Amino acid sequence: MSKYLDKSIVEIHQLLKKKEIYPIDLVEEAFNRIEKNKDLNCFITLNKEKALKEAKELENLEVDNLLFGIPIAIKDNISTKGLKTTCASKMLENYEPIFDATVVQKIKDKHMIIIGKTNMDEFAMGSTSRTSYFGAPKNPWNKKKITGGSSGGSAACIASRMVPLALGSDTGGSIRQPASYTGIVGMKPTYGRISRYGLVAFASSLDQIGPMTRDVYENALLLNELVGRDSNDLTSAWREEEDFTRLIGKDIKKMKIAVPNYFISDIVNLEIREKISDMITLLKENGATVDFIDIDYIENAVTLYQIIAMGEASSNLARFDGIKFGYSIPNPESLEDLYRKTRAEGFGKEVKRRIMVGSYLLSGENAVTYYNKALQIRDDIRKSFQKAFESYDLIIGPTTTTIAYNLDQDIDDPIKSFLDDVLVIPVNMAGLPGMNVPIGFSSYQMPIGLHIIGNSFEEAKMYQLASWIEKKLNLDLIPKEGESHES
Amino acid sequence: MKEKLELCEVEHVANLARIELTEEEKDQYAIDLKKLLNEVEKISEIKNYDEELLITPVEHTVSLRKDENKRTISFNEIKKNIPKSSGNFVEVPVMLHE
Repeated sequence: MSKYLDKSIVEIHQLLKKKEIYPIDLVEEAFNRIEKNKDLNCFITLNKEKALKEAKELENLEVDNLLFGIPIAIKDNISTKGLKTTCASKMLENYEPIFDATVVQKIKDKHMIIIGKTNMDEFAMGSTSRTSYFGAPKNPWNKKKITGGSSGGSAACIASRMVPLALGSDTGGSIRQPASYTGIVGMKPTYGRISRYGLVAFASSLDQIGPMTRDVYENALLLNELVGRDSNDLTSAWREEEDFTRLIGKDIKKMKIAVPNYFISDIVNLEIREKISDMITLLKENGATVDFIDIDYIENAVTLYQIIAMGEASSNLARFDGIKFGYSIPNPESLEDLYRKTRAEGFGKEVKRRIMVGSYLLSGENAVTYYNKALQIRDDIRKSFQKAFESYDLIIGPTTTTIAYNLDQDIDDPIKSFLDDVLVIPVNMAGLPGMNVPIGFSSYQMPIGLHIIGNSFEEAKMYQLASWIEKKLNLDLIPKEGESHES
Repeated sequence: MKEKLELCEVEHVANLARIELTEEEKDQYAIDLKKLLNEVEKISEIKNYDEELLITPVEHTVSLRKDENKRTISFNEIKKNIPKSSGNFVEVPVMLHE
């Protein structure tokens, strides 16, 4: 079997440019790898026929950009015209969008080739990808472990080197947390950096699409192609064009870095804390300043998230009524009967839980007691971060409090999925960019990740630090079968 | 603190969410929803710094598109995903009875 997909994108680009290989070679290899790793359950829908056809068509075009002909996987809550977009839900099991999300259009414009739609938590609600109607994806480092979520399929297909690029979405850590559990690079950009048009809404004021890749440089390359103002998403920001790779390779001397005390408190697994401590030492030895600080309100972020995300979700998911698209029960007795039974049968347990609590939180006086109060504290969190960024370039800490755990652990605990994201949620509250970069392994050879938080629209600086760390550590991040020996 | 919601409370939230629940589900959700609501209650213990709200992290002024009527998608395309349609209409169950 060919091994082109083990090469870097720059190397692949050179081969394509010299016509030593063609996009079809990459696409065939990607599908071979997916077939070989079918048990990881990374994909809900494959785009095989169209992808092979597109690859052949690309042979007639000039290789005009670094991502030309590169296979990419798309999370299944991002709208792809003519390709099923299920959100891992029975509700949308047969839904075939009639439009492309703005990011999908951008991907097509650069002639990347969409390989398929990746598995995820149902409607992105979860931290393990186990709430998928299509069964959970498995962690390539140890198939008994969770991938994390909700972008678990995207994370696992990158970690297992099925494709070099993937898109995820992040409402409360759904890119960064699975990236950490699977040993890949995942970026949640600043809110507004990337258009959300065509992303099936979960919590609109928190949702953001982002790139998931094998390394930092390729992550920045993909981000370059995704950003920009879009008239179809009024929350997307006008920004001058920038190259996110521009600071990669630059030294980190004189960089001022903060570590929130909460991020290294005893809520975090000891092995992870030790890795973070080693990283702090390494950064200091190489000329960076690292200080421990307090950021007010970050320990309250999960409570805010529960209120804001569930409230917004209950409103966004009201559109699934069995009338306009998606699942619909046969022979309803009345309109109300259609709504109630369609939603009862179409949604899974976790989604129903969140819609019910969200509906309650937004009803009557509760909107003031809970939702308004949460928005007030949310403003306070943002101000606390702003204060920190007056003195520091970046904030770091662990991405997760634990190492990827067993697929059958705490499966019915309604709180666990929120607590898994306790370190990543504050970033969504403040609309800041956050990313995961792998920094080592646990004693059982499971990946551990570093969380880097930047000020608004300062993703380039985050890539600078992440790439420096990546180069310094030079980790082997390709999962080897059976290497993780914990049962 | 109660460990579960009353059944009538579960029925109330299920009604708000327009989700039908079986009796067995009501029992389970009485416990699960209570756990979630206990978490949410923690908001009352947090002292806010000021009264300002952050509804969205957007920093720019959000200006709306011109309100123009554009025909970008045909009904035939839309129809592909509609569970029940008739001609150029979406079919819904009868709402008004004689």
